[in-house]
Amino acid sequence: MAKKDIRNNDRHQQILQAFQAAVGPENVKDNPATVNAYYGDWLPPKLLGMSVPPEFVVLPNGTLETQAVIKICNRYKVPFIPVGSNQWSLTGSPNRQGTVIIDCKRMGKIHEIDEKNMYAVIEPLVTLAQLQAEAYKRGLYIGSPEASATASAIAGHCFQGMWGVGYRLGVAYRNILGIEWVLPNGEILRTGSFSLDAQNGFWGEGPGPDLRGMLRGYAGAMGGFGMVTKMAVKLHPYPGPKTWPVRGTIPNQISELPEDRFKWYIIKYDSLEGAINFMYEIGKAEIAGVVQKWPTVYYIWWWANSNEQYWTEWQKRTFQDNVKNAVGVCLWGFTSPKQLEYEKRVLEDIIKETGGKPIKQEVFDLWVPRTANNWIRDTHGSRMMRPSGTFLALRLQTDTLKYAVDHVRQGYEWVEKFSPPILDCDGPDWIGGYDFGHFGFGETDFPVEKRAEDIGDLMNKLLAMTKEDVQNGLENGIGPFLGGPYHQMAAPVFNYEHLLKGIKKAIDPNFVSNPPHNIDPNA
Amino acid sequence: MAKEMLLPKDPRYLRYPLETPFDKEKARWIAFNCSRCSVCKWVNSWQVKSARYARICPQHTRYLYDSHSGQGKCDLALAIIDGKMKWDDDPEIKDILFRCTMCGGCDAMDKNIRDAELIKLYRWMRSEYIKALGPLPEHKSLIDSLKQYDNVWLQPRAKRNSWAQDLKNLGIKDLNNEKADVLLFVGCTYGLSQELKPTILNIAKILKQNKVDFGILGDKEICCGSPPDKIGLLDEFERLGTANIKRFNELGIKTLITPCAGCYGTIRVEYDELPVKKQFEVLHVAEYLDRLVADKKINYKKELNLTVTWHDPCHMGRMGRPYVPGKDLEGVYDEPRRILKSIPGIELVEMERIREYAWCCGGGGGAFTGFKDFAQWTARERLTEAKDTGADVLITSCPWCESNLRAGGIGMDEKMEVRNLFDLMMQAL
Repeated sequence: MAKKDIRNNDRHQQILQAFQAAVGPENVKDNPATVNAYYGDWLPPKLLGMSVPPEFVVLPNGTLETQAVIKICNRYKVPFIPVGSNQWSLTGSPNRQGTVIIDCKRMGKIHEIDEKNMYAVIEPLVTLAQLQAEAYKRGLYIGSPEASATASAIAGHCFQGMWGVGYRLGVAYRNILGIEWVLPNGEILRTGSFSLDAQNGFWGEGPGPDLRGMLRGYAGAMGGFGMVTKMAVKLHPYPGPKTWPVRGTIPNQISELPEDRFKWYIIKYDSLEGAINFMYEIGKAEIAGVVQKWPTVYYIWWWANSNEQYWTEWQKRTFQDNVKNAVGVCLWGFTSPKQLEYEKRVLEDIIKETGGKPIKQEVFDLWVPRTANNWIRDTHGSRMMRPSGTFLALRLQTDTLKYAVDHVRQGYEWVEKFSPPILDCDGPDWIGGYDFGHFGFGETDFPVEKRAEDIGDLMNKLLAMTKEDVQNGLENGIGPFLGGPYHQMAAPVFNYEHLLKGIKKAIDPNFVSNPPHNIDPNA
Repeated sequence: MAKEMLLPKDPRYLRYPLETPFDKEKARWIAFNCSRCSVCKWVNSWQVKSARYARICPQHTRYLYDSHSGQGKCDLALAIIDGKMKWDDDPEIKDILFRCTMCGGCDAMDKNIRDAELIKLYRWMRSEYIKALGPLPEHKSLIDSLKQYDNVWLQPRAKRNSWAQDLKNLGIKDLNNEKADVLLFVGCTYGLSQELKPTILNIAKILKQNKVDFGILGDKEICCGSPPDKIGLLDEFERLGTANIKRFNELGIKTLITPCAGCYGTIRVEYDELPVKKQFEVLHVAEYLDRLVADKKINYKKELNLTVTWHDPCHMGRMGRPYVPGKDLEGVYDEPRRILKSIPGIELVEMERIREYAWCCGGGGGAFTGFKDFAQWTARERLTEAKDTGADVLITSCPWCESNLRAGGIGMDEKMEVRNLFDLMMQAL
């Protein structure tokens, strides 16, 4: 029997015509070859057959067309998912039939870079790499997530924004100023100074209560609160060159920043606690631009230029024997080379006082030029998939550095318990310090071979364990992070589910904005 | 006792199976391991110098939908291989597959983060598409021409030699009857295009002036096989390539030089897939002349006073060397730049997207023949980028790039002259 083609359905045709009228016929597609490109990524759902192709992909241009598209979705009660640059569709893969992808490919303008007031007004397709490049030219900068600077800058700001320079700049969502935002019900909301002047984004607060928290929360709104079509984001003074310094040829590129303004240290400790204590002390001294305790796999994930190099070096234990419990610190001479000299002296005192030791010079020389500056302008994050096809990032949490230690320790237990299918990784402990260490972030990342049978089995076990973990969170006030289902499962931990559900009901009465994210109001 | 390391079970994760033939299984492996990281759509982040010139993929930039990107093609390949879709399920599959200029931009960016061969995947997909549905009507003239005349320009074989008639008094050797160390492989386009005839004449003159022992095959030269290779007619590629290698080996040449980037990439890299092995070195004319420049054998007599920018042809650059996972994507990047700098009065200014992250001219992969509107849109993007450097002239050394960039420039408000590297050299000699 021939496959039933949904496109012959009357309702489908009505919706198609409505979208065509709103954005132009060439900017809506429903054909199999197009929609097939919008439901996969590195995460397990496609592999496990949990995600489905969307019914439509729509490309609005600007706020008004986006509003029209979202109103049509409400009229026909069809779910929509707004996507940014669509790099790693963390929550952008449809999980139900009939979904509309709102792709922002026609919204890639940088409206303004205000050098004097240090902010940029951008549309959703603008990537962090693009914004960084324009900012550098003006002596300004913005961070980028380690995942990759090909991410949408707006999406990056709405989501966690755990970017490499967050230690100094605060997490990305603290850098949001004015927002132009189409709510799930199709209303347009302008916040900050956009509420008074749609061209002027310099101010973030108001009017009334600061609504930016709705977008960001703990893990972003995940497309559950409509679509931001324009945002003003803060930029910061930058002591580096006007263009990113890079030499060499792909995949062996080297990036070295000026030595009188940037200086990397990789300092190791006998224990994870020792490393975290070092991070606290750096924070107290209010020095440095980047402070991170990376897991061993991060060093080699980003460094290796081929699978063969990865696994050969791993079996030689080059990184396991040298960077365990090490902290990466990049000092920045923000104001002058003198500042860098001062910070070097302070840092070296802290190293002495805390009993730290630099990693072997040969490993430092091997790793730093090729890899370390990713933390400032990322490009290698996607290498994380290389050695086994995928990885799982689990149990993300934001609290204190101290809590992060306990948190990632549980990750060690998971590795013990689930290896295999978790592959050799020497501990999954990533701990980042943000806001001068006032705020800590922990994440456990596991390499897993991309095989449906292994991942399916692992996912079931992890889900069972996460439920236990929620219980633990309820007792201790700390929750796990699981993407979309997180709010559902873990909201009680922070007791904010009622607030979140209330907001969702108010602005998404038809429950069409990327359900079930960020929370199901009826669950 | 140390715990045993837990490594992936599939050996392809331990080492990319470069040496195995590119078949369905390999195609699936590459498509399956696409993580939707989207690096195939953008210039490598470290190399992005402005918001304007941050894109790498002409097709995705023009057609916007992710289906028209490397990631989308991986999704399509996976759906086809896994039986979720058939080639004739959707007429747009043709556009997704064949509007691509096969420039290798996505492939190069992808190779920064994983071991894969996207261009080979697309070639495999095109070949499978053709097996299922036949060649594209848009490519019919090209295919007919290859089958009838062994060139892509619907011209009789005898015409291939016409450019050299003017040089008979220079005594260019006919390698069908004489011996020489160097074969100048002219290629279909330089050999048959009236527009580009001066370039091949200039190359021959420069070689003669420098007493290079070279010759040509004249009307016995046949297509290198690049166009059928790129549009997925792999049998035709094999026929032409095999015949060429056998013939070149018989000639006993030490070096084959060609001024065409498409011929160069094909003979230097793609011929390695064929059962007959080459017994000669393959160089682009730019590489060969760069050696003469380095040996101070080129004596310029005139100063040109021009600001120029160099366009890296894809098949001479990022696709000009065999792929080895983890090794630099080398190509002929520095040689033409050194030649330009050697010409008195030339100032070289660079575009933002150069070398392995260069923006394509738009003329490759069958787009020049089959999808002119898109090919010329891509060219206009490149010309605008060139104009932004402040250069007077865009220099390149590929007949497809030259022709397509010139065609794209017609009607543009701001003109950018397009010239061949060797014409510029000759002007200064």
